[in-house]
Amino acid sequence: MSVLKRLTEPKSLDSMSPLGAVLVYGGLILWSMVVLFPLYWIAITSLKLPIHVSAGPVYLPFVDFLPDLHAWRYIFVDLGNDTLRPYLNSIVVALVSTALAMLIGSMAAYSLSRLEFAPRLASILLFLLLGAVMIVAVAGFGVPWWIAAVVALALFLLLARAAGRTMRASLGNGDILFWIISQRILPPVVAALPIYVMFQTVGLLDTRTALIATYTTVNLPIVVWLMYDFFVTIPKDLEESASLDGASRFAIFFGIVLPLARPGLVATGLLVLILAWNEYLLALFLSSANAQTMPVLVAAQNATRGPQWWYMSVLILLMILPVIFLTLLLQRFIAKGMLLGAVKG
Amino acid sequence: MTIILDQTSKSFGSVEVLRALSLEVKPGEFLVLLGASGSGKTTALRMIAGLESVTSGRILIGSRDVTHVLPKNRDVAMVFQSYALYPHKTVFENIAYPLTVRKRPKAEIEKSVRDVAQQVQLDHLLERYPRQLSGGQRQRVALARAIVRRPSAFLMDEPLSNLDAKLRGHMRAELKHMQHELGITTIYVTHDQIEAMTLAHRVAILERGVLQQLDTPANIYNRPANLFVAGFIGSPPMNVLEGSLADGRFDCSAGSFGTASRASGRAVVAGLRPEDGRLAPPGQGQLAGEIYASELIGDHTLVTCRCGGATVTVKADKDFAGSIGQPIGIGFEERAVHLFDKASGERLQ
Amino acid sequence: MAVTSAAHVTAAPPERESLNDWLDRQAGRLFILPAVILILGFSIFPLIASAYLALSRFKLAPGGYTLTFIGWFNFKKMLTGSQQFHLLGTFGAITLLGWVIMLATVALVVWGVVRYARSGRVTVVGSIGRLITIATALALSVLFAVNLGEGGQLGTIATTMFYVAGGVAVQFALGLGLALLCAKPIRGRSFFRVLFFVPLMVTPVGIAYTFRMLADTAVGPFAPLWHWLGYAQTSWSADAWTARFVVLIGDSWQWIPFIFIVLLAAIESQPRDEVEAAQLDGASGWQIFRDITWPSIAPVAATVVLIRAIEAFKIIDLPNVLTNGGPGIATESLTLHAFIEWRALNLGGSAAVAYILLFLSTIACVSFFNFVVKPMREARA
Repeated sequence: MSVLKRLTEPKSLDSMSPLGAVLVYGGLILWSMVVLFPLYWIAITSLKLPIHVSAGPVYLPFVDFLPDLHAWRYIFVDLGNDTLRPYLNSIVVALVSTALAMLIGSMAAYSLSRLEFAPRLASILLFLLLGAVMIVAVAGFGVPWWIAAVVALALFLLLARAAGRTMRASLGNGDILFWIISQRILPPVVAALPIYVMFQTVGLLDTRTALIATYTTVNLPIVVWLMYDFFVTIPKDLEESASLDGASRFAIFFGIVLPLARPGLVATGLLVLILAWNEYLLALFLSSANAQTMPVLVAAQNATRGPQWWYMSVLILLMILPVIFLTLLLQRFIAKGMLLGAVKG
Repeated sequence: MTIILDQTSKSFGSVEVLRALSLEVKPGEFLVLLGASGSGKTTALRMIAGLESVTSGRILIGSRDVTHVLPKNRDVAMVFQSYALYPHKTVFENIAYPLTVRKRPKAEIEKSVRDVAQQVQLDHLLERYPRQLSGGQRQRVALARAIVRRPSAFLMDEPLSNLDAKLRGHMRAELKHMQHELGITTIYVTHDQIEAMTLAHRVAILERGVLQQLDTPANIYNRPANLFVAGFIGSPPMNVLEGSLADGRFDCSAGSFGTASRASGRAVVAGLRPEDGRLAPPGQGQLAGEIYASELIGDHTLVTCRCGGATVTVKADKDFAGSIGQPIGIGFEERAVHLFDKASGERLQ
Repeated sequence: MAVTSAAHVTAAPPERESLNDWLDRQAGRLFILPAVILILGFSIFPLIASAYLALSRFKLAPGGYTLTFIGWFNFKKMLTGSQQFHLLGTFGAITLLGWVIMLATVALVVWGVVRYARSGRVTVVGSIGRLITIATALALSVLFAVNLGEGGQLGTIATTMFYVAGGVAVQFALGLGLALLCAKPIRGRSFFRVLFFVPLMVTPVGIAYTFRMLADTAVGPFAPLWHWLGYAQTSWSADAWTARFVVLIGDSWQWIPFIFIVLLAAIESQPRDEVEAAQLDGASGWQIFRDITWPSIAPVAATVVLIRAIEAFKIIDLPNVLTNGGPGIATESLTLHAFIEWRALNLGGSAAVAYILLFLSTIACVSFFNFVVKPMREARA
């Protein structure tokens, strides 16, 4: 056997040729470095003195330079509350909005996976029309918003039946599901302005409540989409059996369905948690001082401090360490959840 | 408790799966709903359970009209084909579930579950999870969960069909014994006629949403109400010969014979069960034909003959020796012949 | 027919249902209600309000603000007026590259129309949908042609499209490559899988800073390399295209893992026996990929590209932090554009930009779904 052949041909179907193995492992190690190097660079930068940065790059702690905790001290001790408050905001907003999105989204997904809905197209059009009229009335003619809302609601209830009689077409579960998921296509910036005005009107601007409510809605489509796919795989028998055993729908949902969908809940929950944790645009619109979250704080370093890389590195590390830790802990679930979403579409 | 279906119908859109079904199950009775898939038997059961809405008609359990009552308030227990055990609960928790959702006292639950577990020989497995059990054990857990709260009726949807043949026979006997002991009204759905015949006090045969016959297993076998039931019950199925009836005599291309009927001048179908026929030398017997195939089953031989345009199967001795193509006669007691009207399929006499 | 009549049986009067039972019957509606209310309140209602805002002029007034209805003015200003350079960019004389782009688009459109006409399933709705797609594609190709022409500059629409198309292409190619590597019989597969997954979870704002650090030609880790190449004094952030590419690199570093992880799972679930049969038949690695792996992962691949594109249209964090949209407006995405207008208290203009983004991304994503994802799924099914 020639040397070339030995190098390029695998010994068996399940193994690689020596040359192939070199290429494959080479590629994997190269990409590992692409992934790790930026993280490594932030880590060491957070331990550098300003002189280590400005004098040109130094690469190896203890060899090139002596690590120093001054940046960490500055962020935690000197700034103290100014760091702590956004950090706490981020934690509260991310956790609460994730919990709410998971609860509300799972309930909606379950409902869609088990019951048949047939909303009248006419009612929906009527609702949108009244909504538009109400906005014009409030914004254009200065009608107080609560009067407009009450009038619109009353008109809707009065006219819905009549509208349903004139136009019989109705939608199905698939349409509702698509409608909810399609909210994800909506760029958040389109909704951000009116939401900003809305919260300003009710005096909730720059509060955690505003961020929690908004994040919950923004992440609902993902929860509904992924959880729907998990719920349809749970056999209906179990729920029918439980209903004959005497359980109410609520007891079935919380006692049978949710525990069985746990892998899906973990995967989806983690995904939503990370999205909420990292969210930037809406936080930028809706928070200024009180409810400021970490991404906004980090981004603001740009303007206030210029390139003080050592402080920024500490802040970035503070943001990504918990997430990376969670990811390592639960990554098996995430991959599964993402695949489900992508495959089922 | 009595269960009554009164002119109960079910449609899915324009498809009618159950047409005006009326039947009455007596207290303590074991009733089997038998039919092929798509006959509406499972739909009927699920309507009694409340899992399927009723399009028209009503359902009574005891003296209660439960047509629009939620499943959880009907006081019936159901055993599913898949057993529907909760995978995240232990055997104990599974059996206890009907009691825990009703918020019974802990001590009572503990006692009832242990009693029932003993009854179905599960007491050593209470801490296991369903995935750690064999098929037969899972089946027992499902039964125990149904028994534990003493419902007014059992509903069973093909509960044995996921077991292998040997275990199925064993569980069949246990099920019958248990139902007898408990004396609880039971409605049992199956497509397996052996299960139906062996378990039931009475069998209801459904086809395309219509009740064909409701009677004891013996009567169903001996006096099938129509051609469908005649062909559905019995293995191998009843032989059928198309012909005409004149002055009580049946006449077809393979031969003619007298019958108990006095009707005359109409197209009929005569039915003969394979075990009622016997093989005879050519020229003897009422029918003439030739051997098409013979199969040794074990304690008997099935001989299939071509008689005119029809095929007639006869159960013969296990040492029957005949060659294919050999001419042969078929004889039988004339009162063993079943007569059906050809147009309607209904039984004559 | 044996029919038992049960008409003689009279039932006890039906019992009244308790509140609990009523709740139980309504459970399905009650379950979906909070989601619908939230989406109506925070998504549909704002969408309608935004439309009104886009047609108004917003002015701060004592004790609040005033909104004046001004019709299409906000849009007119950006499409043909003083803000045209910002949204549509500066138009230059079309060069060879521009002609190539336009010709390629026309060729693609003609090919699609011919295929559709020959399919024998031409419908009114289908034709209208295709007309919208074609019009958008042609308009975008002309826009790119004049933006890339001599003296031309990219506006925020072209820049956003560059992030979407360029980003998705780069990320898909590298994500697929990595997934194929990881699907080989290697040791430590789960290690690589977890490691490669990490960037997806890192805050985009953090990524922006990190890449600013890494790309710094004077004090970044690659400074010696730039020095050696003679680029130590030039800043990447001063040149429009290098700045855009740095944004693209940061975006790709974050999103390659997403495509990687989904495609890897899809490759692992491809029919094993087909692959083994092909190996026994002596097929080469490339043939196995082309004939077995690709057809089996294509529907997933199309979906993952769609999901990625949907998110890519919303990009803001990276350009805002990395380059602040600069130099000039070179790296400004549509979302950033809308944000900058908002910061300047031009709420009407901001809403108008947002609406243009909404139309663009909806048309692009729906077209991609209808003309790429759907056929691929149907082909597999």
